Amino acid sequence: MASANLSIIGRTTRVRGRVTGAVDLEVQGFVEGDIAVSGDVTVDANGIVGAGVRGRRLVVRGAVKGDLVGEEAVSLEDGARVVGDVRAPRVAIGPGALVRGFVETGEANGAPTRASRSAQGASRPQTLARPVAPAARSTTAKTAGPQPPPIAASSKTAAKHPGTAEKANGPAAGRPPRRPPPPVVPALKKVKGQIAKRKER
Amino acid sequence: MASTVIGTGITVEGEITTDEDVVVAGTLRGKLSAKEGVTIEHGATVEADIVGGSLVVAGALTGNVTAAERVDLQSGARVIGNVKAARMTIADGAQFKGNVDMDV
Repeated sequence: MASANLSIIGRTTRVRGRVTGAVDLEVQGFVEGDIAVSGDVTVDANGIVGAGVRGRRLVVRGAVKGDLVGEEAVSLEDGARVVGDVRAPRVAIGPGALVRGFVETGEANGAPTRASRSAQGASRPQTLARPVAPAARSTTAKTAGPQPPPIAASSKTAAKHPGTAEKANGPAAGRPPRRPPPPVVPALKKVKGQIAKRKER
Repeated sequence: MASTVIGTGITVEGEITTDEDVVVAGTLRGKLSAKEGVTIEHGATVEADIVGGSLVVAGALTGNVTAAERVDLQSGARVIGNVKAARMTIADGAQFKGNVDMDV
């Protein structure tokens, strides 16, 4: 009865390849390929998935290295370790869940993700997927109209400091603030080398 | 109680390696290596080479089988492939085409 509706990749089981189908799936072991089912997918605390997971509702308590796409919802619970993008109408990240990737909620999970997935084929997913959402956000922000606040702000500052207002506003409005590059820590290597040299001496 | 279940409606394309019991009720293409029992249920479609401790087939299997203990083809099973096992039974009503290699 359970086996009729639920499929289980057991704890000591490794699957190298695709898993597809129309029923619920529980991963307690290791899957090294895409999972695409129309039912629910549970990645257990001991479960490891090395590729993308697509399903109706995804519950993750284990490790996933790949994109999570839920038709209805994605729930990352305590113990979840996800490296990859998360997309679903509802995304829940519980306490104790670790995520590194782009998370997007809302209805935009159907066709666009499939398109981007097929487009990803050759190139890396992140580089293609990431620029889309910020652009969309900025357009919505423009149409929604936080336009008044800047004017008000500038008029305020202009009243206080008529000369400096444009200077202050100019560069900030023209260019988005650039983030400094992430800190590179080659110091360790250098230090090691130095230590080695010192030892040589 | 099997720990790994490939349920009805699930398709696995690739390789499965496990130390525990496996029940296949869905579709499997590729390869299956298990240390314990493997059950291919009625309605399942398996196109894979199977290595396991023991094997019970009630569904359709195309592929070579190597079992440490025994292979049982139940009524309604359709098996095409060579079987190498210590013991083997073919129930009345099972279809089988292939070589059998038992410890004689």
